[in-house]
Amino acid sequence: MRFQRITQAVSLSVFVGLLYIAAHPYPEGLQSDFFLRLDPLISVVTVLTTREWYWYLAPGIIVLLVTLLFGRIFCGHICPMGSTLDVLQVPLRSGTKLSAKESSYEATAQYRGWKYIVLLFIVAAACGGISLVHLGSPLSLATRFYGLVLYPLALLAGDVVTPLVATLPSLGNLQFPQKVFATNAFVAAMFVAIAALVRFQPRFWCRNLCPAGALMGLVAAVPLVRRKVSDACNECGLCIRKCPMSAISGDPKQTVHSECIVCQRCRSLCPQSAISFIPFGHEPRKLLYKPDPTRRGILLALGSGFLTAGLMHTGINQPRQRSAERVLVDSRLIRPPGALPEPQFLTQCVRCGECMKACPTNTLQPVWLAAGLEGLFSPVMTPRLAACATNCNACGKVCPTGSIRDVSLPEKQHAKVGTAWIVQSNCLAWEQDKRCLVCDEVCPYKAVSFQPVADHRNAVPFVLENRCSGCGWCENKCPVAGASAIRINIIGEVRLASGSYIEKAQEYGLVFRSRSTVPDRLAPGMFDTPDSGAVSRPSTEHGVIPEEELPPGFTPK
Amino acid sequence: MPRNTDRREFLKGGLLTTAAVMAGGSSILMGSTRSVASETPDIVIAHGPNPAGNARSAVEALGGIKRFVKRGDKVLIKPNMSFASGPERAANTNPAVVREVAMMCSEAGASKISILDNCLNAPADCLRLSKIPETCKSVPNTYVDHVKAKRLFREVPVKDGLRLKTMSTLVEALEADVLIAVPIGKSHAASGVSLSMKGMMGLISDRIAFHSRYDLHEAIVDMITVLKPRLVVIDGTRILSSGGPGGPGKVIPLNLVVASTDMVAADAQMVALGTWYGKKFEPGQVRHIRLAAERELGRIDLDKLNVVNIKA
Repeated sequence: MRFQRITQAVSLSVFVGLLYIAAHPYPEGLQSDFFLRLDPLISVVTVLTTREWYWYLAPGIIVLLVTLLFGRIFCGHICPMGSTLDVLQVPLRSGTKLSAKESSYEATAQYRGWKYIVLLFIVAAACGGISLVHLGSPLSLATRFYGLVLYPLALLAGDVVTPLVATLPSLGNLQFPQKVFATNAFVAAMFVAIAALVRFQPRFWCRNLCPAGALMGLVAAVPLVRRKVSDACNECGLCIRKCPMSAISGDPKQTVHSECIVCQRCRSLCPQSAISFIPFGHEPRKLLYKPDPTRRGILLALGSGFLTAGLMHTGINQPRQRSAERVLVDSRLIRPPGALPEPQFLTQCVRCGECMKACPTNTLQPVWLAAGLEGLFSPVMTPRLAACATNCNACGKVCPTGSIRDVSLPEKQHAKVGTAWIVQSNCLAWEQDKRCLVCDEVCPYKAVSFQPVADHRNAVPFVLENRCSGCGWCENKCPVAGASAIRINIIGEVRLASGSYIEKAQEYGLVFRSRSTVPDRLAPGMFDTPDSGAVSRPSTEHGVIPEEELPPGFTPK
Repeated sequence: MPRNTDRREFLKGGLLTTAAVMAGGSSILMGSTRSVASETPDIVIAHGPNPAGNARSAVEALGGIKRFVKRGDKVLIKPNMSFASGPERAANTNPAVVREVAMMCSEAGASKISILDNCLNAPADCLRLSKIPETCKSVPNTYVDHVKAKRLFREVPVKDGLRLKTMSTLVEALEADVLIAVPIGKSHAASGVSLSMKGMMGLISDRIAFHSRYDLHEAIVDMITVLKPRLVVIDGTRILSSGGPGGPGKVIPLNLVVASTDMVAADAQMVALGTWYGKKFEPGQVRHIRLAAERELGRIDLDKLNVVNIKA
């Protein structure tokens, strides 16, 4: 097997493996976000958007340096998007045969400039302070697709298929937790569109659209190690026909190095063994047919990028305070604990979806437009679906850009994401005077207090704001059908770009005393909803002895 | 040689049987229910510092595991394994007790011993922190797991249910030859205590309905008309006296194990033995225990039962 196929198989396996281990409990020492850090586009765009240098961006820059020396080997060997497309090409392009003339660089060059347009658009928006890297970064796209689309599908398949094949008793009880994600159909559609384009040309995305490929193409115009064709070449044209990138000119000795992904397929196929990849291979003798964007195209890309950034800055949900005293924030936009202050958060988040894949309870969901168009796919907590696990900090651990900070468990438990508030008209205790204690019972921080009030036979809940971390167990477990009677709102969220959440909590007078002392406990002690009042007991049953004198669940003699 | 042994054993067995029958018969004639040692007790309470030893002695005093498990039987053991905390927190059954019961089943020739619970907390954490899988690893033919996937459950009619007419029940519980309940003694915010009866809720899927659609206590009693363990071994090594079912709460070491074939009697006995929220209670003060006795699913009149206390 060709060397490239082995490196691709290994890379794709490691990519999938790392994404799989992005979960709670998180294996310390492993970097599940490693592949995302390799994406040079993420590195460059993040530097431009934030105007800061972060060391976690170094791998992407190293990839650029490697590209300078060896060409676009990242595209041909490592990129999971490229590898996935190579796999899909087998069925999607079966039966397609192109002549050497049809697949030469010159014949396929008409769309090549697009990727530079995409790159310049994203770069211009980045200079305007808005990160649109998620629209084009192949790693962000691939991670999002694998994590939010394929992973839940695989879990579903496991649940469906296991009982059919479980003739082995050991497999009989194999169980798969099921995950659901917002926007998943849209993420899938984006990927399907990219995959479908290979019907037109192999690796259509890599040739014509990928902005990371464009960035590396700029660097790889004349790499140190490059394709060289010796005089043994008899111009049979096999290499031209088989090149997955159509990087070879109609004259097979001529290579467009910025398009070559160094798969070395041509070298292994050449019947004359005329092809080698060596330092100082062929100089591009002349500039070939030049498809690269026109000056007008460049100006259009830059202009529309800046304009788009401007539109984001003037959208109603834009999070940056320029002159307004307050910005408009959706009250349900509950960011994961440890998320940077919103402007920085949106600037650094690359929407890869790793945090959502890693979230053990499934509360983290990609958001549609609640954070404006700029916030598309960014993570948000969805307490009614699931609550935040008290003793898990996986989202910060897997975040490739630190937009969710990697903080210790005690720090995470002090990173308040919001505050619970009671909707009295929905509440069984407040509205129907039923005996329901669920929100108190499930609260990991004892932040709900039941107190007697006038006109109520049963005690009713109050939220102690300074104890509430916003984890959402109360909202999640509230037995009221439909909308919960206790909901998390972003009131009081603590978003720190640096520094200690524990110290900040002390400064603000927040007291997060976890009920749990066992470090590994993922969830509050009970959510087998206790005495949910939905069935109120006849008041005669308790006789004259008031209920409060008996512990819960016991009756008088 | 073996033939001789057989005959000798046969004679010995025959004599013992005769003696037992005579002893049993005489006790009936004498009208006594508790003075004759050879009669099988209704409830055994084994006291001692060693949880595993307590479990074994209690089951042996109840007639031995072979009374319940035959060679080749498929056994389902239902412990409390629902919370992500360790044995010291007393929200899950002591792993040593679970292991000993599994070991006895294995010695009796059980072909498969499943130790299953529908965990409330994250299953992986429950399994790891409860230490039950780790402790039971060395017992042959035994596997420990959580059960959550809906396909492992089947909706079955509750023929004798007053309120509950059907419930989604773990298929393995329906198909097992022997069901053994091995709960821990603990308080429960909604049901007063959670013992063998309430613990059976770990074998059903739609528990929320028990809490919201039905009266919990009535639903529990309806449930145990279907899920009837042949043997109940309640772990009283430590009890979770308050803050149950998940804790943290007051943990009281009692250093005992209660065994019975009557789940209502076993639960009643555990209520009487324990201190709950700093007070003593009569078994009838736990409504599902009282209701079960009223419906004659078991006995609650401890003073009329043959309760044997032993030192393990």
